[in-house]
Amino acid sequence: MQLLISILYDCIYHSTPIILCVLGGMFAYKANVLNIALEGMMLNGAFVSVLTYFYTGNIALAVLLALFTTLLYGLVFSFLGVTMNGNVIIIGLAINMISTAVAGFVLVLMGSSNIILQGFDLNALKIQIPVIKDIPFVGNIISGHPLTTYLSFLLIFLMYVLMYHTKFGIYVRVVGESEEAAKAIGLRTNVYKYAAILIGAAGCALGGMNLSLERLGLFTNDMTAARGFIAIAAIYCGQGKPVQSAVYAILFGLSRSLAVNLSVYAGNAAGLFDCFPYLLMIVVLAAASYMKHKNVKVRGF
Amino acid sequence: MTQKKVNNLARSILNCLVPVLLAFLAGAVVICIIGENPLEAYGVLLQRSFFTSVGFQNTLHYAGPMILTGLAIAVTFKANIYNMGVEGSLLIGGFAAGIMGAQLTGMPSVPVKIICFFTAVLFGVAFAMIAAVLKVKFRADEMVVTMMMNYALSKVLEYLATTVFRDTGAGYVCTPTVSEQAMFVRIFGKSRLTVFFFLVLILLAVMYVVMKKSRLGYEITAMGKNFEFAEATGMNVGKKIFLIMAVSGALAGIAGAGWMLEDQYHYTLTFSSNPGLGWDGMLIALMGGHDPVGILVAAIFYAGLKTGADSINMYTNVPKEIVALIQGLIVLFLAVKFFNERFQLVRRFKKAKEA
Repeated sequence: MQLLISILYDCIYHSTPIILCVLGGMFAYKANVLNIALEGMMLNGAFVSVLTYFYTGNIALAVLLALFTTLLYGLVFSFLGVTMNGNVIIIGLAINMISTAVAGFVLVLMGSSNIILQGFDLNALKIQIPVIKDIPFVGNIISGHPLTTYLSFLLIFLMYVLMYHTKFGIYVRVVGESEEAAKAIGLRTNVYKYAAILIGAAGCALGGMNLSLERLGLFTNDMTAARGFIAIAAIYCGQGKPVQSAVYAILFGLSRSLAVNLSVYAGNAAGLFDCFPYLLMIVVLAAASYMKHKNVKVRGF
Repeated sequence: MTQKKVNNLARSILNCLVPVLLAFLAGAVVICIIGENPLEAYGVLLQRSFFTSVGFQNTLHYAGPMILTGLAIAVTFKANIYNMGVEGSLLIGGFAAGIMGAQLTGMPSVPVKIICFFTAVLFGVAFAMIAAVLKVKFRADEMVVTMMMNYALSKVLEYLATTVFRDTGAGYVCTPTVSEQAMFVRIFGKSRLTVFFFLVLILLAVMYVVMKKSRLGYEITAMGKNFEFAEATGMNVGKKIFLIMAVSGALAGIAGAGWMLEDQYHYTLTFSSNPGLGWDGMLIALMGGHDPVGILVAAIFYAGLKTGADSINMYTNVPKEIVALIQGLIVLFLAVKFFNERFQLVRRFKKAKEA
């Protein structure tokens, strides 16, 4: 029972950053801009938030700066990729490299290999929901997460509304489906692409902040561990639909949580459990892609 | 050369040089911000890696595997297949070669190396094939798949290196050291340069013929321009993807084996260092414009940066991570074509002269 509780609690815990990444990234996917810089943007969010807190001790400022700097990356991405018509895949890879390099550079200047926030009270960030926390079983799973976690699950529905029930969401999708048509009806397509990319940056910043500051109170330079790419896989599998994509993100969270919780019983083979989430994502992506293309009769890729 | 060719050449050289210069400029700004002299740092970097005999030989030594990973990336990227699994193929190839090299003792030098390379190619190709199958049969996006597989593979290799194949005598996690017969000998003693570099040059020549003169090379270019059109002209694109991925995996496997037998001698968790030889290969392929000659030049240049990074660390107060930053910026600026067909540089010069 205790094991089941901790598996489900960890599932929510590990899903959060990826959900945020997915929710941000799917707008770019719908606008037909492949944003593979999610990973780097997330790392930047993680890095800047912890760094700011380390020097100022102000959580609000940490979140704001993380958002602001990640949006800068988003602007660079949009400018080079949309305005200058550069190759977005290469720009994305470059941003991933740059954000790692910047973090590494600053860490060396600080003279350490990671930032650990001493005396940072993680438990103070966890919200105990009244009433719910007293329900046995459910309370232990749902209550006691940091604010961003609840926000991320709330955002799934907000983003659904934004994507399907507002003008903005419809325009973004029009731009993605047929840019010529969008231009023909007088939409400024670049504006919507910029907006889509920047929403992605904001989501990644929050996800990164959750990953480092809120959950652990520390930063190491490899801590995102391909979560950005997992988010991309989740977006692909869910075809950019908010709820479906989020479900795939949660699936990854579950597999990660299983890997962590069950590795205790695995003894020597515990290390092998770490690759399980990645393999699962490959299988799921393959299956989803297969289903999507099964009925396409046109040859070609 | 015709006017158009001169124009094209000038454009492609500029398209490669301008990003490098911009990146160095941005790097200089960062160095200034931390209160150091950028000219001094860059001076040390270039001086140590290009203008001393031993330094240049070391640069060539590091360029070897990078040329191969650059080619491995170029073959796939040129065909619009984004194979990020080069890093993985390199790791698994290096690991396999390391294990074989350690197990086979008391054999003559040449057969051991052939067996090591053969195993590395086998594993490298097998790794690349997984992504190829998923791409062709399941239509799964190869970039996401290969990226995931890299992570999964590094975890598996970490597991193998810490348990099954661990060298219990060593104080840190690594596999047993390869036998002496399997190692490449340093030619000049002082520098790290080995025969492997010349093997790389032979492979480069082969790939030059394949990419420039053969039917496969033409088909790669055709696929890169337009998958549907290539398919419509009667090419079996699916089959070609298998072939291209196999070539890519084999090149990366050889790169891994070479790196193992000429430099590392055992698999450690930092075997391919950070950001990894496969990633370096990507930058090199982009800088070289997916062209074998360009890749040779770019690899030597980039290997110079890497060896120079250590000199920067040693002789100045600038951390060597600055080079990783410059690397990222180069890739970023390379993504944008600053000079395209509309920008007729040479003609502008001529017009200016006439006027």
